[in-house]
Amino acid sequence: MNTSDDQDNPSRRSFLLSTGGWLTSAWLGTHWSAIAAAAHHAEEMAVAPTLAGFQFFSPGEAADVGAIAAQIVPSGTTPGAREAHAVYFTDRALFTFFASWASDYRAGLAEFQAKFHAANASAASFAAANSDEQIAFLKTVDHTPFFETQRTLTLLGMFTSPKYGGNYQGSGWKLMGFEDQHIFAPPFGYYDAEYPGFVPYTDKQS
Amino acid sequence: MTARRFKPGDVVDFVVVGSGAAGGVMARELSQAGFTVVVLEQGPRFGPGDFEHDELKYSFLSGITNSPAISPQTFRDDPSHTAERPRRGNSVVYARMVGGSSNHFTANYWRLHEIDFHERSVLGSIPGTGFADWPITYQELEPYYTKVEWEVGVSGLAYASPFDPPRTKPYPMPPLPVKSSGVLFERGARKLGLHPFPAPMAIASQPFRGRPGCAHCGFCMGFGCEVMAKSSSLYTMIPEAEATGRCEVRAQSYVFRVDMNPAGRTTGVHYFDREKREHFQKARAVVVSANGAETSRLLLNSAGPRFPQGLANSSGMVGKYLMFNVGTGVHAVFEHELNEYKSVQVTRILHDFYLADPKRGFYGGGGIDGRIGGQPAGWALASGGDLPLWGSALKDRLENFPRSMMSTAYNTSLAVETNSISIDPTLKDSWGIPAIRVTYKDHADDLATSQFLQDRAYEIMVAAGAQKVWRPEPRVARGGVHLLGTCRMGNDPASSVVDRYHRTHDVPNLFLCDGSSFVTSGRGQPTMTIQALAFRAADHIGQFAKRNEI
Repeated sequence: MNTSDDQDNPSRRSFLLSTGGWLTSAWLGTHWSAIAAAAHHAEEMAVAPTLAGFQFFSPGEAADVGAIAAQIVPSGTTPGAREAHAVYFTDRALFTFFASWASDYRAGLAEFQAKFHAANASAASFAAANSDEQIAFLKTVDHTPFFETQRTLTLLGMFTSPKYGGNYQGSGWKLMGFEDQHIFAPPFGYYDAEYPGFVPYTDKQS
Repeated sequence: MTARRFKPGDVVDFVVVGSGAAGGVMARELSQAGFTVVVLEQGPRFGPGDFEHDELKYSFLSGITNSPAISPQTFRDDPSHTAERPRRGNSVVYARMVGGSSNHFTANYWRLHEIDFHERSVLGSIPGTGFADWPITYQELEPYYTKVEWEVGVSGLAYASPFDPPRTKPYPMPPLPVKSSGVLFERGARKLGLHPFPAPMAIASQPFRGRPGCAHCGFCMGFGCEVMAKSSSLYTMIPEAEATGRCEVRAQSYVFRVDMNPAGRTTGVHYFDREKREHFQKARAVVVSANGAETSRLLLNSAGPRFPQGLANSSGMVGKYLMFNVGTGVHAVFEHELNEYKSVQVTRILHDFYLADPKRGFYGGGGIDGRIGGQPAGWALASGGDLPLWGSALKDRLENFPRSMMSTAYNTSLAVETNSISIDPTLKDSWGIPAIRVTYKDHADDLATSQFLQDRAYEIMVAAGAQKVWRPEPRVARGGVHLLGTCRMGNDPASSVVDRYHRTHDVPNLFLCDGSSFVTSGRGQPTMTIQALAFRAADHIGQFAKRNEI
């Protein structure tokens, strides 16, 4: 389909026009309604002066999940999960297109929080603990299914399209040095720019 | 010419089930030979303007693939266990749209080598497997490989690999521009005395048969091509079939049963339209090219009084000997930028380890390539071995994305009878049709070969000057996208499903042609051979029809 993205991307538009690529048909995939809802929510967030509220998480859950994500990809001189709004992506995902994950996820999060409280009685929550305490605890749970799921959601929230609520203003792609374009031309990198050409072999193996 | 439209009650010469790599070729060849053809495709029809750079949708939400939400499956690794639905996604994955998986494939287009067709005779039997020779030779298939290259469209450099099998013509297009991953892979491999060469790809490197050359957008693997440079059936075979005026491609038409008459001949197929209304398309002959999983499922779901264990299944072999090709790889980072997110996945490969070598102590061989290894999110999610999971080490890796590449390897999967597609006893899809049950466990030799090739890939990256190389441990398969071997070809009706012309041994006007026909797995990248088989099968089927031998 020709999305609004195309309108903002003259290189794609002009290339498709030049190749006669303007064919249309309806996309009827199963997840479309959920994807559209998430994209609509993201558009609302993009124009809102403050972030929209959470639909899956309670405030306390959102704080803990945001803190976990921020340890998975820390902030620093370059953006991390916090700046990419990975927690908002996670919230939207579990409420919409990954709703089938929600039950296991919520149980896993509750177990995570209970384990943390048992190991850190003095801390009010994972989010309230200091970074050293958070890292020490995560090392004890970083092979659990819940952590694996949270890692997946965090990285998807950083590096998939901003229309799903994460990768805020393309911050994840900026971190990686990825350019979302539709046309490139060689040379693509340092090494192919200096390639002298393929030299045929003189030995025959078979 | 406007594409022809038929009514379900019209008796067409052929109904083709599936419009992918094989089905597209069948449709084009049979309609160009003068026959009337209806192609029934379960998925919708998209055009290039419909495809997007949306990794979440395509790679994680079944954007164009068989969705577990409507087409669920179960999996088990032991036939004595009860199969369960995978926690996420489906076990076997294919593109569910006109053009099938030829839309979202990476487009690696190796030919099989001569040895693949008679390896059992050379090496002998392997206990616990159905390792067998093909009933055809490379020489019989060679003209059809050439046809794929010239009529579907493959870019490459003939005679570049000293291991290449004989060929009668060069490629019609030069190789795609080499990427930095290809340069580094070639540098490392040559230092080790190996023979990397330009990868043959079913992607146009220059304008070809009315299609533009590649725009190097980088979204090939798992995505539909938005500029029509990828030589998918959608852009090549299907429009040429429709242009004959004798072929209709009917999208969103889900075939769930092949019909049989009392004389033991098929009379057509039952299918659901987009509103889930049932229809029956009459045909003089049926060709099933639904892929290596769905073809078996359709036959098993078409059981009847004459074939109580599944249509054309007197051998009991329908669904057996499922093969995936084992894949592995290493991640590497270099001093300067490669920017591997640009352009096609693969530009250099090598076949130095293609042959099995008994001295290794296990059967198997494969190919190794240099490549990008995924779009941003998929690449970031890589885990296993010493790859960093989280924290500052992960962030360092993420920041090194432009300087990173992979070297990956694909290898043989042995034919094991218990590895199979069968019908789940309880699970049904959204149309109420019994679902696929996958039973699969890698043979120990396949995993040993995978480890062997990963070790070689590691050495190549080190020799290329990588600053750091990570090697995730090879993982056992719990599914795949190379769907091979489940209705194998053979001369013996007791041990195979189709004959050397893809006609089922049991039903004279029922033909099967897709990955299910494979007898052995090859070394990976099977679609080139699937299409060559389809060209050959269509040639013979057309001759049979003209001689009234169907």
